Amino acid sequence: MQTRLILWRHYRAILSNTGMIMVMVGVLMLTPLFVLLAWHNEWIYAKDFLIPAFVLMGVGGALWRLLKSNIPVSITIQDGGVVVLLSWAIASVFAGFPFMSILGLNFTQATFESVSGWTTTGLSVVDVAKAPNMVLLWRSIIQLIGGAGLAIITLAAITGPTGAGLTIAEGRTEQLAPQVHSSIKRVVILYAGYAMLGIILFKVAGMNMFDAINHSFAAISTGGFSTKPENIAFWDSTAIDLVSVPLMILGNMNFLTVYLLVRGKFKAVYRNGEVKAMAVLIPICIVLIFYLVSNSIYPTFGKSARVAIFEVVTALTTTGFMSTVYTEWNSFGYLVLIVLMIIGGGTCSTAGGIKQYRVYLLFKSFIWEIKRAFLPKNAIIENYFWKGEQKEYINGELLRQLISFVSLYMFIYVLGSGIIAAHGYKLNEAMFEFASSLSTVGISCGISVASAPPLVLWTETIGMFMGRLEFFVILISFGKIVQDTFAVFGRKN
Amino acid sequence: MNILIAGEGKTVYFLCRTFIAKGHKVTVINRSQDESIWSARQLKIVSIQGDWSDPLVLEEAEANLMDAVLAVTPNDHDNLAICQIASLQFKVPQTLALVNDPDNEEVFRQLGVTAISTARILSNLMERRVGFGEITNLITACEGKLNITEIELTETSPVAQKLIRDIKFPQNSLLAYILHQGQPTIPKGDTILYPGDRVFVITMPENYAETIRMLTGDKG
Amino acid sequence: MPSKNLFILIVGCGRLGSLLANRLSGKGHSVVVIDNRDSAFNTLSAEFSGFRMVGDATELKVLKEAKIEEADVFIATTRDDNVNIMVSQVAKKIFHVPKVMARVFEPKRENIYKDFDIEAISPTTIAVELFLESVAEFLTVNKRGS
Repeated sequence: MQTRLILWRHYRAILSNTGMIMVMVGVLMLTPLFVLLAWHNEWIYAKDFLIPAFVLMGVGGALWRLLKSNIPVSITIQDGGVVVLLSWAIASVFAGFPFMSILGLNFTQATFESVSGWTTTGLSVVDVAKAPNMVLLWRSIIQLIGGAGLAIITLAAITGPTGAGLTIAEGRTEQLAPQVHSSIKRVVILYAGYAMLGIILFKVAGMNMFDAINHSFAAISTGGFSTKPENIAFWDSTAIDLVSVPLMILGNMNFLTVYLLVRGKFKAVYRNGEVKAMAVLIPICIVLIFYLVSNSIYPTFGKSARVAIFEVVTALTTTGFMSTVYTEWNSFGYLVLIVLMIIGGGTCSTAGGIKQYRVYLLFKSFIWEIKRAFLPKNAIIENYFWKGEQKEYINGELLRQLISFVSLYMFIYVLGSGIIAAHGYKLNEAMFEFASSLSTVGISCGISVASAPPLVLWTETIGMFMGRLEFFVILISFGKIVQDTFAVFGRKN
Repeated sequence: MNILIAGEGKTVYFLCRTFIAKGHKVTVINRSQDESIWSARQLKIVSIQGDWSDPLVLEEAEANLMDAVLAVTPNDHDNLAICQIASLQFKVPQTLALVNDPDNEEVFRQLGVTAISTARILSNLMERRVGFGEITNLITACEGKLNITEIELTETSPVAQKLIRDIKFPQNSLLAYILHQGQPTIPKGDTILYPGDRVFVITMPENYAETIRMLTGDKG
Repeated sequence: MPSKNLFILIVGCGRLGSLLANRLSGKGHSVVVIDNRDSAFNTLSAEFSGFRMVGDATELKVLKEAKIEEADVFIATTRDDNVNIMVSQVAKKIFHVPKVMARVFEPKRENIYKDFDIEAISPTTIAVELFLESVAEFLTVNKRGS
C-alpha cells in the first residue's frame, strides 16, 4: 500500500501536468481556424480541428484541475521526463487527426506527419498541392510550437509547477535567467522576435503573406515544412534562398548564445564552442560541396554557389528546407550532408542531431590528449570550455556521458538505416533518409512518401521522436512507467 | 609598544623575534598547540593558544591594553574580523591586516581596516627586479601612487659627471637623496652625480620608466 | 507568482543556504547561490531554478561575477561566522545591496555588528530564547497543575 501511495503522489503530479499541456495543445488546435478570416470556403474543415481540440481541452482540463494539488509542488526531472513522454505522444496522435479526416491519410501516415511536425523534422507524406490552407497552417504551427517545446510554451502561458524539472526534461537545460519563469519568458520573446523577423524577410524577398508566415515558422523552428511540394526550390529565387540562410542559422543557435549576442556580450559569443564549430564547418563544407558536387550539376556559377550554401546550412542546422533534389548528387555529396546532419545544430535550440557542442567537446578532447603528452608528467591539467559566460571544467563524468550518448546515437543510426535498407532501398539513400529522421532534419531523397512501406515510416517516426526528445529521457521515462506499473500491480503491497 | 599578533607559522615567529629585538612587548595568539609551545620556549613573549577571532580569547589576551594588533592569519576574513573586533570593541589604536587577495586591500580600507597584500608587494618587486641589476625598488606608497627606488649609477649612466641643475628630470619625479662613497647628501643644484653613487628617486607609476631610463640609459 | 521578483544572492549552500535557496526560488525570485565546493549544490531540490556558482565569495572578483551590484537581497550562510561577516559588510558598504543578512553562530560576535546595518541572525540565540520560553511555559503549567 505504501508503494502505491508514494507512486500516486508522483503520478498525480505527472498526470496533472500532462493534462495542463493537453489543454494547451487543444487550444493550439483552434489556431488554424484563423485561416477562415481569409478563406471562408474552408469552414467545412473546421470540425476536423474543433473535435480533437475540445476532446483535448476536456480530458486535459479534467486531469489538470481534478488532480492539481493545493500546495505548489515542484516536479523532478524524472517525473518531468514521464510528463514529456506522455504529452508528446498524446499530442502526436491528436495532431494527426485532421490529416486523417481531411486528407484521408491512414494512422501510420498521419502520425508520421504529426511527429515530423512536433519534432521539427520536416519530412512529409502530405500532398501539399491538394491540402487546404488550414492544414498547411496547422503543420507550420506544430513545428513552431514543437521547436520551442510543448512544456515551455505551456509554462509561458500558465503558471505551472515550480522548479526547472519540466523544462530540463524537455531538453532546455540552460536558462537565460536565474528563475525558470523569467527564463521562459525571455525565450518566448526571442522566439516571437525570430518569427516576426522571418515573416518580414520572406515577404520582402517575394513570398505572399500566407507563404511568408508558414515558412517563417518552419525556418526558425528549424522544421522545414513548406506550402509547396518542391519546398524552397519552388521559387528558385536568390533572394529567398539567401534570406532563409540566416534564419536557419538563427533558429539553430542556442537561445542563451543569441540572448548574450542581443545583450552585447560579444566576447562570450566569440568564445562559444558552437559558434566556432559553425564558423569552421560551414565554410569548409560549402567549398567542398561547391567544387565536388554542385559545380558539375547546376548550369550557372550562381546557382551552384547558392545550392552549396543553402544545402550545407539546411543540413547542419537540421532545418530541412530543400533548394534542390538530390537525385543527381554523387556519393560524396551524400556523405557530406549525412555527416552534417549527424553533427546537427546547437544545443538548447530548436535543432536536432548529436549537437555541435558535443562534437566540439569531442574534438577538443582529442587536442587536449595530445597536448597532455607534451606537458610535464605531474602537471595537473584542468581543461574547460565556455558555457554562456562561465567556464565549465571537463571531468571524467562529462566525457563519459558524452561518449555514451554519441555511441548510442550511432548505434540507433545504424539500426534504423539498416531497417530502411532492408526494404530494398540503396544504402546511401537509406542512410541519408534515416540521418534526416534521427537528427530531425527533413531533407529527403525520396524515400519518405505516403506510399512508403509502413515499417519504414514507423522506423522514421520513432527515429524522429527519439531524436527530438533525447534518448535518455525517453528510454528512462519509458522504463520508469513499466517499472511503476509492475510495482503497483505486480506485488501485494 | 604592546603588540598583539594573531597568526601561525614561521612568519609569525620571526615577526615576534624582530619586534622583541626592537624592544617591544609581544603577545601571540596561535591556534596551533605545538607552535605556541615552541614560541613560548624560544622567545620572551606571551604565547596564547586559541581561536584568534574569538572575542573572549582576545579579551584574555588583554587586547584592550594593546597599542597595535597585527592580523596575519591565512584567511582574509579572519584578519578582518580580528582587526574590527580589536578596534571597535577593544579600542586598539592601530590595526593592520594581511590580505591574500590584492583586491581586498581597497575593500578593507573602505571597511575601516588598513591592509597589506603580500601578493601585490611581491609582484611589484618582481616586475621591477627583472632585468635591472642596479635597481632596487624600495617602497610603493599611497596605494600604489608613489614609488621610491634606489639606483646605483654606473659608468655608462647618462647623468654621470653631470650637475643636478643640468639634468632634466621628468615631471613629478624627485631625486631625494644621494649616497656618495657612503656619505649621505641632499642634492642641490650644483651637486655632481658620479658613477658608483646610489641615488634615491621618488616617482609616480606614469613617469617611473622614463626616470629610470634617464638615470641608467637602459631602454627598460 | 509574487508581484515582485527579487534578485537574491546567497553565499554558502549548506543546509540553511540550500533550504533558503529552494524556497525563495520556488516563490519565483531569481536566486544565485555561491559555494566554494561543487558538491554542496547537491542539496538543492527540484524546486530550485536559479543559478549556481562555484567560487570563494571572499574574493571580490567572484562577487562581481555573480552580479552583486544588481542584487536586491544578500544572505550569508556559510559555516564560518567571519566569512559571513566579511562578505555581508562588502555587500552593504561596497556594493550597497539594499537588504543584507548574515547568519552568525556565535552570539558574542552578533553584538559588535549591530551598527553595521546588517541583519545578523544567530540561530543559537533564537534557539536559546525558544527553549527558555518553552521551559518557562512548562513551569507555569506545572505550578498551576499541582
